[in-house]
Amino acid sequence: MAEVILENICKTYGNNFRAIDQLNLSVEDGEFLILVGPSGCGKSTALRMIAGLEDITSGSLRIGGVDVVDMPPKDRDIAMVFQSYALYPHMTVSENIAFSMRLAGKPKAERKKRVDEIAKTLQLTSLLDSKPANLSGGQRQRVAMGRAMVREPAAFLMDEPLSNLDAKLRVQMRAEITSLQKQLGVTTIYVTHDQIEAMTMGDRVAVLKGGVLQQVDTPKRLYESPVNAFVAGFIGSPSMNLFEATLTGDELMSGTFAIRLQDAAFVRRPGLRSYAGRKVVFGIRPEDLYDSSLESGRKYQTIPAKVTSIEELGSEQIVHLNIDAVRVDSGDPDAVDDFGLASNAVARFEPISAVHSGSEIRVAVDDAKFHFFDPETHLAI
Amino acid sequence: MTRQKRSHHRLKRAVAPYLYLSPSLLIIGLLMLLPMVTVIGYSFQNSAVLRRDPSFAGLKHYQAIFADPVFWASLWHTLYFTCMSVVFHMTIGMVFALMLNSDRINPTLRNILRVLYILPWLFTAVIIAVIWRLLLEPNGVVNSVLMQMGIIGSKVEWFSSPETALHAVTFANIWAGYPLFMVSLLAGLQGIPKDFYEAADIDGAKAYQKLIFITIPQLMPIIISISLLDFIWTMQVFPLIWITTGGGPIYSTEVLSTYTYKLAFSSYNLSQASASAVVILLISLGLTLFYIRYQKAR
Repeated sequence: MAEVILENICKTYGNNFRAIDQLNLSVEDGEFLILVGPSGCGKSTALRMIAGLEDITSGSLRIGGVDVVDMPPKDRDIAMVFQSYALYPHMTVSENIAFSMRLAGKPKAERKKRVDEIAKTLQLTSLLDSKPANLSGGQRQRVAMGRAMVREPAAFLMDEPLSNLDAKLRVQMRAEITSLQKQLGVTTIYVTHDQIEAMTMGDRVAVLKGGVLQQVDTPKRLYESPVNAFVAGFIGSPSMNLFEATLTGDELMSGTFAIRLQDAAFVRRPGLRSYAGRKVVFGIRPEDLYDSSLESGRKYQTIPAKVTSIEELGSEQIVHLNIDAVRVDSGDPDAVDDFGLASNAVARFEPISAVHSGSEIRVAVDDAKFHFFDPETHLAI
Repeated sequence: MTRQKRSHHRLKRAVAPYLYLSPSLLIIGLLMLLPMVTVIGYSFQNSAVLRRDPSFAGLKHYQAIFADPVFWASLWHTLYFTCMSVVFHMTIGMVFALMLNSDRINPTLRNILRVLYILPWLFTAVIIAVIWRLLLEPNGVVNSVLMQMGIIGSKVEWFSSPETALHAVTFANIWAGYPLFMVSLLAGLQGIPKDFYEAADIDGAKAYQKLIFITIPQLMPIIISISLLDFIWTMQVFPLIWITTGGGPIYSTEVLSTYTYKLAFSSYNLSQASASAVVILLISLGLTLFYIRYQKAR
């Protein structure tokens, strides 16, 4: 077990494309850190650099206090779980798990003992003689975990290990990996593009965009206090609604409506006053918008909106709305424009809400939950 | 729909696939099955083809062949020629495919090598035979290079000496045939996921361990399929040997195909030639069945 420290890590490819720019990250001993970001943000590159599968252009990388920049992958004392699992199809489960021990020339009896122990932990005992082709997705995933565990590494590196599983199995494996990590206590760096995995699994989450680290924090703090509009939009599903508005006195003016901000908003963000008379970006999460006709929405100010479509989920309704405000792009390249221009906001209503597609409604907004960002830099105010 | 109409419709549906197949079945029957059956028939006749009313000979021609020491020599030469060819085709094909797939070789050089290595495949057997006859002539390039390097003391008559002729034709055939393996294995290599090697790197595998534990097992289906095909094809090679040595000197490069050809068109013993052809057919058939069973097992 060990801490992993990245200092000013850069990765530049031959065509001068900078995949990682000055990455500083410190992963504590036994910590579960998630690297998350949209496609092409450099998260897999960062992981592969830690593994030694990609060269580091500049910067320093220490695993367990040892500088490993010039070390080959095998000497870094890490184990990796690949997105494809990379299980050898011609080997049985047992041979796959024992492969690294076989390479190291460990005696057969020792190999068998260790494989049996791991198989027991991962509930693979009955499958040890099967070939990967005869296993389900979840079982293959566990074999890949077993192959990583057998080496008793200082750190686990996992590259989107759940992305090949169906949604239900993914939820189950999420819990399995998290509890296994806690049980083993091995430092783990886990790459994903799925922010739900990021929020549910990690002790801390590092958000990357365009090769630049945006924020490293606990999932809760990342959700409640994003440092910029990108993190605000990326973390949370559906994404935070971001709009442009003008701050006039203590009122937020946008299109045909105005929302009066409480003093607390200015007390918490002293910088907000300086935006008086200027444009500001405000964000509100879908769960902080309410159907004003319901009990939950009665205590808040309301704004007019038109319902464009509804996704009925049983436990809640995802309501797509059009409100009279200019939507702001968070900068997430993976985000899809909501039905073109028909809707510009998403709300999460209770299942009893009776709104229907096409209706003009009033949406209640909890202004205490507003997030504010600079319209130029997109940094949080 | 009446009952009659329905049964007519059913009949049409049942017959349709055979109608679609009939042109190819007819062509195969005429061009392959008919000659094969005819040759089998000839092998049981006396003076087949030569006489209008040949008499039944029973197994006489087969006995004659099995009693002929040249037949056994041909069979041995065929096996040597085929086994050596397949083994070296595979080894050279594998080495070149690994080279062409390696990241360590400069991409431009790799493209040039790819063209160079595939060249032998572009030549017909006749051209290959002519090239090697010229190269291996007593006054040819090979002798002069080997003499200059001090490997041989005097000029070797590669195709004309009974000691070297079989090795020389085998060598020419190896040169002509490795590209099939190279191309097939290269395609196989490119299909092996990169993750396998990266996972092995992390596990501490050395280059030779990656070759033994990952590359070769992954290529095994291709290696077995192509080897069996190559075995079947090489067993039947005729033009290369016919043009380079004609089976000589003193039967030293006689293989089953040249042996059969000579029986038919030098001795005009078409019945015995047919018996010899049937023996080749049976050997090929055995290998083909083995190949089909292997393919099915996969």
